[in-house]
Amino acid sequence: MLTIKKYSYISPQHAYPLPPHLKAAMAGGIDMGKLYRSLAIDYPKFFKMDTLSKLGFLAAELLTAGEEKGEAEAMNDRSVVCFNKSASLEADIAYSKTIQKENFFPSPSLFVYTLPSIVTGEIAIRHKLRGETSFYVSPEWNAELLVDTVRQIFAAGASQSVIAAWIECEPDSFEAFMMLIGNYAEGLPLSAENANELISDFRIHNIF
Amino acid sequence: MDELILELKHEIIKALNLEEISPADIGDDDPLFGDGLGLDSIDALELIVLMEKNYGVKLTDPSQGRDIFRSVRIMAEYIQAHRTK
Repeated sequence: MLTIKKYSYISPQHAYPLPPHLKAAMAGGIDMGKLYRSLAIDYPKFFKMDTLSKLGFLAAELLTAGEEKGEAEAMNDRSVVCFNKSASLEADIAYSKTIQKENFFPSPSLFVYTLPSIVTGEIAIRHKLRGETSFYVSPEWNAELLVDTVRQIFAAGASQSVIAAWIECEPDSFEAFMMLIGNYAEGLPLSAENANELISDFRIHNIF
Repeated sequence: MDELILELKHEIIKALNLEEISPADIGDDDPLFGDGLGLDSIDALELIVLMEKNYGVKLTDPSQGRDIFRSVRIMAEYIQAHRTK
């Protein structure tokens, strides 16, 4: 049976799961650079990423923290499927600012992030995942669509585990809700109801 | 030349978002790519843009970058010889 084994969540106010020693440090709100440094990650490319990719990168770090090597046997074919509503809008705006002047100099490093699917690639590269990567744009969080898409990946026999996420970045806000799904003996059964309940716990009930 | 090398280090750090790196971490003769700063092909494009934007140096053949970006010192020497601003 497919289950949601683990999940992570990041918003401007909260991050989950956080190691106990970081909870106090993050009490004032989530700054992605600060969270990166607090997690003692050595991945300098993080600072070159756009906000969407940084958010996805950090959510995946929180999700997979503590995953043992034996436990990661399925990682080789693990897939990454993400959804949001604004695609890469923030990177698009940043890039468009570099091409508005008369003698403009377009920025190659901003341009590469003007596709939302780049975040799935960044996660796959970081964790050496070789499964399917895909990114879908949806008007709003849609648990049914997410669960259907994940089930299709498993039905195709493409992967033994899937990282599935809602990763949304707007100019003044952000939200990442990421789940690790597979045929695990533990976790919540995979269903739209359970996915909705989990994200509601963070969004509405503020459970951290 | 030393002044230009230091200025270039600051500009490279800023343009490439090398937030964990300070100018002192970049040796004048350290390779920028491969084992050095570990820059990638997108960074090379960003350096080409930096040279044109800040110094008016236009690389008509991007493959020239392979030689010019071997180190900050070589980059500075090339800029010194070809700069238009």
